[in-house]
Amino acid sequence: MRPSSSDRLAAWRGLARAAAVALVALAIASGCVMVRPEEREFLADPAMTFGAEGTAAAQEEHVISNREGSYGGSAVTGGGCGCN
Amino acid sequence: MQLIAQLRALPWRAAIVLGAVLFGLVAPGRAGADNGEFDAYSTLFYEFGGPLEMIVVNPRASLRVDPVDEMSLRVSYDADIVSGASVAVVDAPAAEIDAISSATQLNDFRSVVTGGLELRSDFGAIRGSYSYGFENDYRSHSFTIGARTDLFERNTTLDLSYARGFDLVCNLFQPRNQDPVDRRRLDSSQGCFDDQDADTDALDIDLQTFQGSWTQAWAPIFVTQLTLTGQLVEGFQSNPYRAVWLGRAAAQENHPQVRFRYAAALSGRLWIEPLSGAVQASVRAYRDSWDVRSITAELAYEQSIDGALRLRLRGRYYTQGAAAFFSDDYSLRPRGQYFTGDRELADMETFMAGAHIIWTLTPGTEGSDIGPFQAFRLMLKFDFIHNEFPNFRYGRAAVPNNNSILTTLGLELVF
Repeated sequence: MRPSSSDRLAAWRGLARAAAVALVALAIASGCVMVRPEEREFLADPAMTFGAEGTAAAQEEHVISNREGSYGGSAVTGGGCGCN
Repeated sequence: MQLIAQLRALPWRAAIVLGAVLFGLVAPGRAGADNGEFDAYSTLFYEFGGPLEMIVVNPRASLRVDPVDEMSLRVSYDADIVSGASVAVVDAPAAEIDAISSATQLNDFRSVVTGGLELRSDFGAIRGSYSYGFENDYRSHSFTIGARTDLFERNTTLDLSYARGFDLVCNLFQPRNQDPVDRRRLDSSQGCFDDQDADTDALDIDLQTFQGSWTQAWAPIFVTQLTLTGQLVEGFQSNPYRAVWLGRAAAQENHPQVRFRYAAALSGRLWIEPLSGAVQASVRAYRDSWDVRSITAELAYEQSIDGALRLRLRGRYYTQGAAAFFSDDYSLRPRGQYFTGDRELADMETFMAGAHIIWTLTPGTEGSDIGPFQAFRLMLKFDFIHNEFPNFRYGRAAVPNNNSILTTLGLELVF
């Protein structure tokens, strides 16, 4: 059984709706937040950086996603000192 | 012994030669600057309890070189070496013994090679990669593209990626119009992907994955990340080796051909200045078109000890609802046209706790000299996992192999 175009449209529409909500929240929230470069000492610590676990986290996700029924939402590299 | 033989067969020599060549290309010209990184990791997953032990060894070697500041090239090799036992016919009737006693031995070796490129500028980065995976009964081609940008004085990072996968899975050749309840399971991978073999068939699986993330620094000690993932999988998604008892006979499990999957995860990290450590928390919600729903919560604390040493402790809880077509007994309680023997589609809970420790050595640390390298990093990680399957049975027996350990040893060299 192949998906109909309306099934696909409905599925991607759900994702697009969530992305739109996130975008509006982003526009409202992030524009008025400002951490100056000289205040980034703690943000630059590896403990504050998403995705800093790199390969080990990817291998763990590979193992776990094969033993559980769900997938996605894993951390993306970001945050930290903002110096990339 | 089989596992040891498979480990010995790893193409380590090829990886070392490739690494040496790439290192030779960049090392002489840019001494003193970060030119790249080599890392070698290996993960061991051991699931135990009763006769259904499973061992998965996942070694990985990766090399990144930066010919210029604005560009990175990556190559990596991954392997999955699986050895264990699995139940061929789930819920088959037995007078004296349960179905676990009919478990069959499983050995598999999967290899994945990946090549990628990233281009950076002051505004962000774009990246692309290609992976090819192969094993006796599976082939995969995967292309990924992504882009990242920093906004608002780099307090905001947006990242988008799209991946397209073209996979092939081996199955027993069966007429396409055959009734699912008459389909037989694949006994072994012998003859798979052999054009001369008329007993096997190669079936398509198409994957599309879209992911977007928003990382936001809210204060000098607080940062969050929101990640949204959507995935569409079309094609043969059953385990070709597994059959399910349907009352009068067993048939190869029959999953829907299409699966839409969605996940949203929110993570936060808070710096605790008096402790010089960070509290890390995340929650993830997941749902798909097979009506599997799950929630994941994780809490961790990471502490720097004496500069070079870092310790991270964490706990993770996962709960999942069964797929709409899951039944623990299809002869008594059928759930429509689909049937599965996959415990990953049953109700389940996972409890996970563990720690990792990272030791980083840089030139001058404790008077050390690490030659041409900018940094040397050693990582050891250990987790214990316990699963609960309240509704899943092998015959009359509960799942025995519901405890596992996951341990990783890693080495990174920055040059």
